Amino acid sequence: MSPVPSLLLIEDDDAIRTALELSLTRQGHRVATAASGEDGLKLLREQRPDLIVLDVMLPGIDGFEVCRRIRRTDQLPIILLTARSDDIDIVVGLESGADDYVVKPVQGRVLDARIRAVLRRGEREANDAASFGSLVIDRAAMTVTKNGEDLQLTPTELRLLLELSRRPGQALSRQQLLRLVWEHDYLGDSRLVDACVQRLRAKVEDVPSSPTLIRTVRGVGYRLDSPQ
Amino acid sequence: MTDAPGGIRGWRPGRKGVLWRLRFTSLRLRLVVVFGLVALTAAVSASGIAYWLNREAVLTRAQDAVLRDFRQEMQNHASALPMPTTQDELMRTAGQMANSSQRFSVLLVAEDTNKQTVFGNSGGLNGFSLEDVPKSLRTAVNKQQSVTDGNKEPYHLYWQRVTEHGTPYLVAGTRMIGGGPTGYMLKSLEPEAKDLNSLAWSLGIATGLALIGSALLAQAAATTVLKPVHRLGIAARRLGEGKLDTRLRVSGTDELAELSRTFNQTAEALEKRVADMAARDDASRRFVADMSHELRTPLTAITAVVEVLEEELDAETGSVDPMIEPAVRLVVSETKRLGDLVENLMEVTRFDAGTARLVLDDVDLADQITACIDARAWLDAVDLDAERGIHSRLDPRRLDVILANLIGNALKHGGSPVRVSVRLEDDDLVIAVRDHGPGIPEDVLPHVFDRFYKASASRPRSEGSGLGLSIAMENAHIHGGGITAANSPDGGAVFTLRLPRDASALMEETDKGESEGDGSDGSKGNTP
Repeated sequence: MSPVPSLLLIEDDDAIRTALELSLTRQGHRVATAASGEDGLKLLREQRPDLIVLDVMLPGIDGFEVCRRIRRTDQLPIILLTARSDDIDIVVGLESGADDYVVKPVQGRVLDARIRAVLRRGEREANDAASFGSLVIDRAAMTVTKNGEDLQLTPTELRLLLELSRRPGQALSRQQLLRLVWEHDYLGDSRLVDACVQRLRAKVEDVPSSPTLIRTVRGVGYRLDSPQ
Repeated sequence: MTDAPGGIRGWRPGRKGVLWRLRFTSLRLRLVVVFGLVALTAAVSASGIAYWLNREAVLTRAQDAVLRDFRQEMQNHASALPMPTTQDELMRTAGQMANSSQRFSVLLVAEDTNKQTVFGNSGGLNGFSLEDVPKSLRTAVNKQQSVTDGNKEPYHLYWQRVTEHGTPYLVAGTRMIGGGPTGYMLKSLEPEAKDLNSLAWSLGIATGLALIGSALLAQAAATTVLKPVHRLGIAARRLGEGKLDTRLRVSGTDELAELSRTFNQTAEALEKRVADMAARDDASRRFVADMSHELRTPLTAITAVVEVLEEELDAETGSVDPMIEPAVRLVVSETKRLGDLVENLMEVTRFDAGTARLVLDDVDLADQITACIDARAWLDAVDLDAERGIHSRLDPRRLDVILANLIGNALKHGGSPVRVSVRLEDDDLVIAVRDHGPGIPEDVLPHVFDRFYKASASRPRSEGSGLGLSIAMENAHIHGGGITAANSPDGGAVFTLRLPRDASALMEETDKGESEGDGSDGSKGNTP
C-alpha cells in the first residue's frame, strides 16, 4: 500500500466530480476520476487504486452493478455515494458488496473520515493466530484460511472477523461493531453490520443459512463461537 | 327519512340491529301503527254500523210480532170479558192470552164488583206483577187522550224495553177502549240478545283479524321501504369511512331506486374529486421530492467546494482577500443552511411518500441522549435526568433527530437550562424536554408542529428550516408514538415525546403490508 492512498472516484456529474476531486486532493489523497461505470472499471484495472468512491446513479451500468462486478474479482474497499438516501438504495448497495455509504450532499470531511477508516481496516497488526473449527485467522499475515484454503475477504469483512475473534464467545452489539470496525459515531447505521455479517457468513460458514461460527444474539448483536 | 337506519351513530354498529328494531320512533313502528289505526277505524265503523242496523232490524221485527199478537189477544180475549169481573176470570183470560205463539206473560188489571182492583196474570215462575211494569209506562197507558182528527182513540198501546237481572224484556200495555181491563205483557228478548251478542263477537273477531292483517301488511310495506334505506345507510357509512368505491345496486324505477342512483352518482363524483385532489397532491409532493433531489446534486458540489473555502478562512494564512472574506463567510454559512433545508425537505418528502423506514436497534436511552447532547456540544446547557439501563428498541438515528430538534428548539426559544427527563410508563417511553423560557403563546401552541410555521411574521427568521418540529413529529409517528407541546405551570414550555418501548411489532406490520412494494423496488435496483 502506497503511503498516499490513491482513490478512484466514479461520478457522472461534472460539478460534483470536480468539487469532490478538489476536496479530496486537498485532504491528501491521490484521486483518479471516471464519469461512468464502464470507464471506472477500465481505470480500475489500469491503476489499481486503494479504494473506490462510487456514485449510485450512473448512466449505463449503475453503481450497484459496478459494485457487484468489482466484487466478483476484487476485495477492494468501496464507499457508495448515494444521492437518494432512500432506505432501499442503502440496503441494495450494502448487499451488492459496498463497505460503507455516504449520503449526498456529502461533506468532504465526512467522506475523508470514512475513507481513512476503511483504509485503516487493511492495516496489519502484530498478533498471533486463532482458529475456530476449520477456520484459521492469521492476524500477523492478515489472512484467513478455511480447510487450508485462502479466503478472499474485503478489509471490512476481515476487520469484522478480527474484532469478533478478539472476543470469542462474547456478544458484540451492532453499535459496538460500528464503532470498532467502521469507526462511525453513535449514529451508525446498523444495517452496515448486518450486510457485512451476511457477506462474511457466505464466505466463512459451511452452510451460510444456518451459521455455526458467527451467531446472531437476538436483541444484542453477533458473537463468534467455536463449533462444538 | 330522518329515521332511516343510517341515522344511527356509526360508533355502535354492533348494537345497531337491536336498536333499530326497538326504537320507538322507527319508520317500521310508525308504519305499523298507521296501518293499524286505518284498519281499526275502518273495521270498527263498518262493524258498528252493521251491528246497529242489524240490532234495530231484529228487535223491531221481534217486537212488532209480539205487539201484534198481544193486540190480537187483547181483542180476542180481554174485550170478551164481562165488566166488572172477578180475579178468577182475569186469571183465566190472562192464561189464555199467554198461550199464544209468542210465549209472553200477561197481566190483566180490572175492577171487580166491589170497585176493588183485581189482577189476573198468566202465572209462570216469577209471576208478572204490576211492579214489573215501569211507572212511566203505566201512566202512559192509563192516560186518556183527547180524541181528535189525528188521534182517533183515547187509549194507545205503549211499549218499553227494560233490562232486569241482565235480561232484556219488552214490556207493553194497553187499555181496552170502552172500559175493558188494562192489559200488560212481558216478553223476554233473550234469544234476540243472544243472536246480537254472537253477531257482535263475530264482528269483533273480524276486526281483530283485520288488525293483524294490516300489521302484517305494514311490516311487508316497511320491509320493502326499509331494506333499500338500510342498504343506503350502510353504503353511506362506508362512503364516510373513506371507501369511495361503494356503489348501490339499482333495481326498479321507484323513488328509492332514484335515490340509489343519486347516491351512486354522488359517490362517483366524490371518488373522482378525491382522486383528482390526491393526484394533484401527489404531483405537488413529487415536485417537492424531485426538486429536493435536483437541488442535491449542485449542492453536493457546492458543499465540497465551500469546505475548501472554509479551510482557507480558518487557515489564517491570509490567503483570502480581506475585502471578500465576509462574502466567503456568507457563502459558507448560507450553503450550510441550504444543505440543512434540502436535507429536511428530503426527509419530509420521504415521510409524505411513505418510503421512510425504521432501522431498529437496541439502545440504552441514557447513552443515546448523552451522545446526542454531546455531539452538539450542549452538555453544559442541558440537564439530563435519566437512569442508565433503560433499554429500548427503536431507530437511534430517528430518536436523535427528534431529540436534536426538541432540545435545539428549547435552547433556541426557551433558553437554558433545558431539562430532559426520561421515564417509563407501562410499555411507553416518555421523554420530556422542558425549557425555562417564556413558554409558547396559547394561539401558537396548536401550530408548533406545522411545517414552516413561524410564531409571528415579524419575528426575525431563525436558523431553523421551519421543518424541525414537524420532522420530529413524523419521526415519532413512524415509531407509533407522538409528541405533545404544552406550557408548564411553573413556566417554560414542555415537549413530551412518547414512544413505544419496542417498535418492532409496528415494523413487522408495515413490512407485511408493504413487502410487495419493497420487492419491486429492490428488483428495479438490482436489474437496471
